[in-house]
Amino acid sequence: MFKQLLLLLAGLMFGMSALAAGNQYRLGVKGVACPYCAYGVEKHLNKVDGVENVSVDIGDSVVRVTMAEGATLPEGKARTAVKEAGFTLQSFSQAEAKLGESND
Amino acid sequence: MTNKWCAMIAPVMVTGAFVFSGAPATHAAPNTFNTALPVAQGEFIWREQAVFRERSSGGPRDRDVSIVALASALGYGVNSRLAVFGVMPYFFGKALDVTTPMGRINRDTDGFGDVTAFARYTLYKNDFTGGTFRIAPVAGVTAPTGDDDETDRFGRLPRMLQTGDGAWDGFGGVVTTYQTLQYQVDAQVLYRENGRHDGFARGDEARFDASLQYRVWPASLENISGTPGFVYALLEANLADRDRNDVGSGVDQNSGGTQWLIAPGLQYLGRRWIFEGTVQLPAASNPHGNALEDDAIVRIGFRRNF
Repeated sequence: MFKQLLLLLAGLMFGMSALAAGNQYRLGVKGVACPYCAYGVEKHLNKVDGVENVSVDIGDSVVRVTMAEGATLPEGKARTAVKEAGFTLQSFSQAEAKLGESND
Repeated sequence: MTNKWCAMIAPVMVTGAFVFSGAPATHAAPNTFNTALPVAQGEFIWREQAVFRERSSGGPRDRDVSIVALASALGYGVNSRLAVFGVMPYFFGKALDVTTPMGRINRDTDGFGDVTAFARYTLYKNDFTGGTFRIAPVAGVTAPTGDDDETDRFGRLPRMLQTGDGAWDGFGGVVTTYQTLQYQVDAQVLYRENGRHDGFARGDEARFDASLQYRVWPASLENISGTPGFVYALLEANLADRDRNDVGSGVDQNSGGTQWLIAPGLQYLGRRWIFEGTVQLPAASNPHGNALEDDAIVRIGFRRNF
């Protein structure tokens, strides 16, 4: 019984730590070629509910989106936000956030 | 420095300070024309540009014209393809030195000029990794919001010195943009048909403008994460062919012609703002008679979006 409780507690802690890390997404965006473009993408993705942080690696045309705890980013919403910024979503994938990672 | 120059520089300094305080962004685009200004859906783009322009003509009248103006442009993204823009000039000084039978005289005026509104629709867009190619038709009108009947002690000011021409003008054309992480090329072809008012019509104008923006800093984006600011070296070209002005039942033989300007410059692009400047200098010209020609145009300004 005690062993089962320990396992349950460990499972809960692992789950909570995963939630605390937040969901992170990696978006490939076509058309982004200057700092202004990057800012436009950030601005529109930041309007999506649950988005906590957006950062753009302009040299790789990659946008990283970190969601708040428990929130997810539907691909359709990401595609719409990128389109409204004037660009094209090329790829969309979910990535695990690394502890201590900075998105600034 | 005259009071007019002080009055000109003060608002630029104030707005510049506002920009440096961290207002939102703008992006790469030409400095000598506005049709290629990109703006996202639901956002505004604001460009403020101080313009110092020197013009002259040969002939017995030996005209010299000095213009100090502030050009304010505001754009709005209606959707991801359609954007609308308005441009309003304010002339802090528009001065003419001319030789007359009474000797050399100076005449000047100031005030708001004619407001221009235009729309751009992105007809073709091809986004690729690290770049984009776009083609967009543009069309617009210039409204007669400036004064066209200002006078001084010598009487009514010459038409070319008025801040407005009193007529509605229309223009249309195509603008294209090719942008990569290393450089951007913009070009526009425009035709402007100028209206007639009170017996006067400026000559219609056909123009071709092109702009190359080449990233000089950072030289490479390898091993750089995030989004650094860019410094672009600019080289722009402006070719304009103007008909003679209609005056009464005839034409002014000393107006219009063809002129080609070259404009080197610099542009700093941050994520939230742009600071830019160019000097337009004549490369070739073929004026009609003793028509006025541009000797130099300096443009200094900034852009932001919000």
